[in-house]
Amino acid sequence: MAVEPVTLTSVKAAPNHGRMLRERLATILPQLVLAPSLFATLIYVFVFCGWTIWISLSNSSLLPDYSISGFHHYVELWSNRRWTIAYTNLFLFTSLYVIGATAIGLLLAILIDQRVRAEALWRTIYLYPLAVSFVVTGTVWRWLLSPSTGVERVVHQLGWASFKFDWLVQREMAIYTVVITGIWQASGFVMALFLAGLRSIDPDLVKAAQIDGASMPRIYRRIILPAIGPIFISVLVVLLQFAIKTFDLVIALTGGGPGIATTVPAIYVYDLMFQRGQMAEGAAAAIMILLALSLVLVPYTIWKNWRERREAARG
Amino acid sequence: MYLARYATAAVAASTILGLLSVTAVYAVPKTNLLSQWDNGSDAAAIAKLGEMFTAAGGKWESTSIAGHTANTLAKLRADVVSGNLPPAVQLKGPEIAEWDATGMTLSLDEIARKENWDGVVAPELLSVMKPKGSWVAVPMNIHRINWMWASKIVLDKVGIKEMPKTWAEFNADAEKVKAAGIIPIAHGSADWTDATTFEIVVYGMDIDLFRKAFIEGNTDAMRSPQMVAAFEQYRKMVKWMDPGIAGRAWDAAANMMLTGQAAFFFMGDWSIGTFNAGGFKEGVDYLCGQAPADNGKPGFILNSDSVVFFKQKDADYLAGSKLLAHLIMTKEFQTIFNQAKGSIPARLDVDLSKGFNPCQQKSQQDLGESIKAGTLVRSFAHNMTILQKYRGAAMEVITEFVNTPNLAANDAANRMAEAVEAQQ
Amino acid sequence: MAEAAGYDPLGAAGTWRHQRAKLVVYTLLCLFALYYVLPLGVVILNSFRDLPDINRNGLIGLPHSFSLNYWSLAWDKFCVGGTCAGIEPFFFNSVSMVVPATIISTAVGAVNGYVLAKWRFTGSEVLFGLMTLGVFMPGQMVLLPWARVLGWLGLTNTTSGLVLIHCVQGLSFTTLFCRNYYVNIPDDLIKAARIDGAGFWRIFRKIVLPLSPPILIVTVIWQFTNIWNEFLFAVIFSSGTHQPITAALIALSAGGTSVHQYNVESAAVLIAALPPLLVYVFGGRYFLRGLTQGALK
Repeated sequence: MAVEPVTLTSVKAAPNHGRMLRERLATILPQLVLAPSLFATLIYVFVFCGWTIWISLSNSSLLPDYSISGFHHYVELWSNRRWTIAYTNLFLFTSLYVIGATAIGLLLAILIDQRVRAEALWRTIYLYPLAVSFVVTGTVWRWLLSPSTGVERVVHQLGWASFKFDWLVQREMAIYTVVITGIWQASGFVMALFLAGLRSIDPDLVKAAQIDGASMPRIYRRIILPAIGPIFISVLVVLLQFAIKTFDLVIALTGGGPGIATTVPAIYVYDLMFQRGQMAEGAAAAIMILLALSLVLVPYTIWKNWRERREAARG
Repeated sequence: MYLARYATAAVAASTILGLLSVTAVYAVPKTNLLSQWDNGSDAAAIAKLGEMFTAAGGKWESTSIAGHTANTLAKLRADVVSGNLPPAVQLKGPEIAEWDATGMTLSLDEIARKENWDGVVAPELLSVMKPKGSWVAVPMNIHRINWMWASKIVLDKVGIKEMPKTWAEFNADAEKVKAAGIIPIAHGSADWTDATTFEIVVYGMDIDLFRKAFIEGNTDAMRSPQMVAAFEQYRKMVKWMDPGIAGRAWDAAANMMLTGQAAFFFMGDWSIGTFNAGGFKEGVDYLCGQAPADNGKPGFILNSDSVVFFKQKDADYLAGSKLLAHLIMTKEFQTIFNQAKGSIPARLDVDLSKGFNPCQQKSQQDLGESIKAGTLVRSFAHNMTILQKYRGAAMEVITEFVNTPNLAANDAANRMAEAVEAQQ
Repeated sequence: MAEAAGYDPLGAAGTWRHQRAKLVVYTLLCLFALYYVLPLGVVILNSFRDLPDINRNGLIGLPHSFSLNYWSLAWDKFCVGGTCAGIEPFFFNSVSMVVPATIISTAVGAVNGYVLAKWRFTGSEVLFGLMTLGVFMPGQMVLLPWARVLGWLGLTNTTSGLVLIHCVQGLSFTTLFCRNYYVNIPDDLIKAARIDGAGFWRIFRKIVLPLSPPILIVTVIWQFTNIWNEFLFAVIFSSGTHQPITAALIALSAGGTSVHQYNVESAAVLIAALPPLLVYVFGGRYFLRGLTQGALK
């Protein structure tokens, strides 16, 4: 599928060294261009991860301490109720949030792509939540969702006295308010990514299908959505990382409450590493977040490889 | 690379020193205060400190870290890890001892002796500011935690003549308020607010239990029958709160009391700042009184903000640290800062008769009396006693108790003891 | 308008059905707009109300008082973090950090994406996977390693240090976005250019870049808003008068035990949201359609 990096002209003619060097340079130019970013990312990902693993096995408390103490911080971590709640929340929140934001983002992108008037206005309305710091919009959402100040009160004042919307203060339901608010913030950007994808499609493809008499829903299903498959990957990655890093949102909206019902791992890590002086256990928690992530990434990679091999086998 | 740079710097420095040895003796005091006082009245008070520093010939800089305390601590750790110790940092309670133990703190004994800090600072603070006998921190204020605020409107309407003095009286009054269809207790639930109210309950019911459980961190005391009784009293109080407590900010709860939607409100004296901002007056809109205490004695739960100084290589910063420590301890600064914060000066010899709220004056008076009565304690909820890891574990259980109606008092007490034991 | 080029998704339907479909589209757009705009409305209203009004009538409500004063207070008078100059200095600190970080990370990401999509080599897919991993690193976890690296590089508490962090952390995103967009560019275009003797950079300039506006604007939006609103690194790795806007915003909104000035906070929030909004509005024009077609001809 991709273009072979060997050029047609460079193989035979090589009369002098200067030119040969230049041509060899041209051949590896793509790799050279990529090298600095790769170097930076490898340090960022692997060295920093390695450091965290080391800390999680060490005696670190107030400050980093590099003497090894073993796995007992992991044991402590898993005997902690708050951590178990946080880890469960991570899975619950992530799945609802990723599905919800993808669906709404895609719907909005398709709606906007219907040659609507004032497209820029709609786009800006849906995108603005990303522009405003979450610490602030999270607070406003808290006012809106709280039964004593927000929607419930307004509806009561309108005369519907039995109306109830108190998820924010219900231990079992509070995590769903976090999902609602999270989707509100991220779906605009998902919309933008999908819209860029929709705009990268060759219009002739669609026109041809329209001339053939295919219905629009069918065209979306059969032609447009498969064509923007790679964009789906971008969207999923963006949402997944948002979900596992969720921090400000919960702090501003519920503060991890009611009680500790909406704690998430990122808050736990920060609390232990920096507030409570339990750096090693905090690092262990961070590693557990990455492990949770690999629960998604590893099966995906295996599936992708398997599919590619199958396609290659089919020729 | 580094060596070369140091060498050049050393040559340059010695040349300059040689040329300007006269000026080098008088270092220009410099500082950079790392704090959480980032906003509104707090920030204004710190800005005032900066003006005093500049007026005394210093070069002032401050870094304020907003939000969670963890942010300030993260900044401090990042600075330590990157090799730049900050000169002055807002740290409190057991953190002072923890950082002192790293050997990175600066001793202030010389200036403390000269200015007789031991003689003027509230005695309960001395062990906190001098963890190993040497002054490494200076206190800026004394907050009182065990305040109970009440809505004048509601008390008048229900016919409560006097602020309740014991928990039994309080419970009777709360029932009256409830019967009148008004919320008895205004509250906003967060780990620290839930813990604040709970420590007030424990302190008011059994001061020995408070000392054992929350100052010594004794887990047997945490699961004792007395603690179960405190949780039972707390459960009653939670039932007198409205269903909207989760996620409500503490100042929103304060407003419920101020506007007569609720009768009582438990919170430290920083509330006074909020009351003033809303234009509410003591004696007209609200009343202040010591939270109920069954032993009938004057009582005081104390919280104090302080600044810790770290060792510096640069003589300018060293001079700055001494100047800053001196300025923070002046009566002038202690007055300005505390008028804005609602707290009272950490020095006991400041006159509060002018410019302070009547509740603040009462606070200073009660502080003196509780020292005499031997009832002065430091606050657990505000991180003045046990290590953060124990405090955090205990607070999680308290906030869970508030938000879990079917969690029994007995289970809560056991769970708290276990959570703290798990951190040992 | 360029945006109107290409196919019309509703064009195939008959007139009456066309009208009905339009109605459905606009109704849905309006309903969603309500969900999105609601919190903004509260903030805008509060930025004009006086404090007694907010304290007595609640945070959500129509104004009983009106003043434009809080906007000017928020901009250059309110006390935040030891100075009483409003959010103005913080605002410009952020600009000087966000602009270079966004430009560098987007540019590098575009080139990386181009290599990974169109100049694949053995192992390039694996490298792409590894680079993508970078997006998942929790900020709290990498805080101290970064502190160490900045200490070594001598960039502690400098704007350059922050730019470096945001570039490295942003690379994974920008590479991902661009690579997954460039994959859709037909290989025939590139092949044809190479047969004509065009090299790596020439193909990038003449073919790939002209096709890139939609994804570049998405990338810029992403980087700009994320760096603009990023709090943790911004505050931990800056000092004194160099703090960025989020420091001021959080100072305003999470005032701990000090008094909340809801009106000034609201105004500050709105001012702080302006730069990303400007990017959205002015960048929006690059959401073009159907350039592939033009390039082929």
